[in-house]
Amino acid sequence: MSGIADAVASGVLPGRVWMYSNYNCNLACTYCLTASNPKSPRRELGAERMRSIAEQAAALGFTDLGVTGGEPFLIPKMVDTVLALSEHLPTVVLTNGTMFGPTRFANATRLAVPNIAVQISLDSPDPDHNDEMRGPENFAKVADVVPRLIDAGVRVRVATTAEPDRLDDERTVRLRELVSSWGVAEADHLFRAVISRGRATAEGMGMAIPHYEIPAELTIAVDGAYWSPFGPTVENGRVDTDLLITRTIDPLSVPAESLLRLVEGRPPGSDARLSIR
Amino acid sequence: MSRVELITEATAPLTTRKYFEGGDPGPIVASLAQVPELVDVSLAFIGTVLNPSSIGFRVKEMVIVRTSAVAGCKYCVNAHTMVARDAGLSRDEVCALRTETPVDKAFNAAGDQALLAWVDAVAGSGPIPEHLATEVKRWFSQHELVELTLLVSTTLLLNRYCTALELPTDTGTIARLTSDGFAVAS
Repeated sequence: MSGIADAVASGVLPGRVWMYSNYNCNLACTYCLTASNPKSPRRELGAERMRSIAEQAAALGFTDLGVTGGEPFLIPKMVDTVLALSEHLPTVVLTNGTMFGPTRFANATRLAVPNIAVQISLDSPDPDHNDEMRGPENFAKVADVVPRLIDAGVRVRVATTAEPDRLDDERTVRLRELVSSWGVAEADHLFRAVISRGRATAEGMGMAIPHYEIPAELTIAVDGAYWSPFGPTVENGRVDTDLLITRTIDPLSVPAESLLRLVEGRPPGSDARLSIR
Repeated sequence: MSRVELITEATAPLTTRKYFEGGDPGPIVASLAQVPELVDVSLAFIGTVLNPSSIGFRVKEMVIVRTSAVAGCKYCVNAHTMVARDAGLSRDEVCALRTETPVDKAFNAAGDQALLAWVDAVAGSGPIPEHLATEVKRWFSQHELVELTLLVSTTLLLNRYCTALELPTDTGTIARLTSDGFAVAS
């Protein structure tokens, strides 16, 4: 067993490895960590490299994979890539859920396999309220695609990102009921805070947090490895370096071991409590 | 203006933050921090080679300033001019090391002259003439020659690094150079 495997098995290191497949997106959400939009540089990690990372992650002893962006499904062969990743480890792929026209939807139904979950963002039970954050018609598209994916056998998780003053208790209850009515398991509806990084900082949104309050989930982007998926954020067109671990991403053992050394040196009693999941 | 962005305390990657805690670590560290995995290993190596060891501070700074001057590295000449003064070298000696005056006018000791002639050859190109190698071995042991060779080589590495990236001389060094009557290499 490798040192990484020991650390994952004992809970010292989180088991998931994240990959930023790309940075461009068809949306431009107000709190986007990567300040993505349709004109963002693509900064693609590439299918072959993603497959290699998955293979190495499994060999090192990591337990799960996550794919995020940007919007991963802007990449034509993303379904094939996610299927390939899932042959190594259980994989969750994050999407805004707005890309699934008839052809893409039919292709996405191939993700109805046990090792894959598709995580779709939705921030409010009220269309206008949701779309203020995520863009026109976002609510309608998500409300359309989630039940259909579930009917097709795809495991769907829903992630809600909101500041407390935007999502009060009443709205939260209605959102839970709505998502549940689509067939999403309660455990698969996740709530997460807005973090003051990326576009959220420019918009004056979110909470500023020290890195040790964020789980140290090894995150790979095209230009380096980071402490967490909150790491390779973009402000004013530049990728932040404060949570950069190494520029080396292959072999994966280089950033993994560097991350482990950092985690082992973290102040005792540190409470990692915030997650992108 | 540097040719690459210099990392600051606010943008320092996690593994490099210790170098920024005491203030500006200088442009070599601030540029290296772009690639965090390089920083610890590079600085450990550079520090071991450049800092006083079995070879003393004065000799090491003689070698560093002379190599940097031969290589035409403005950043290193500026920075190590003042370090050389701190190492006890006179103003005249440092001017000679900077190639501004003849070496034999400032350095009378035969060992110093042999060393600097050898440094000029090592920091240049092509083979080292036999007579220079023979002469320097009269004054330095084999292990010292190994250290000195690595010191010239490492200084050249830094010379090319600083020159290629156009690392800027800090204002404190410029002020010291000026007040000591040295020209600021620019």
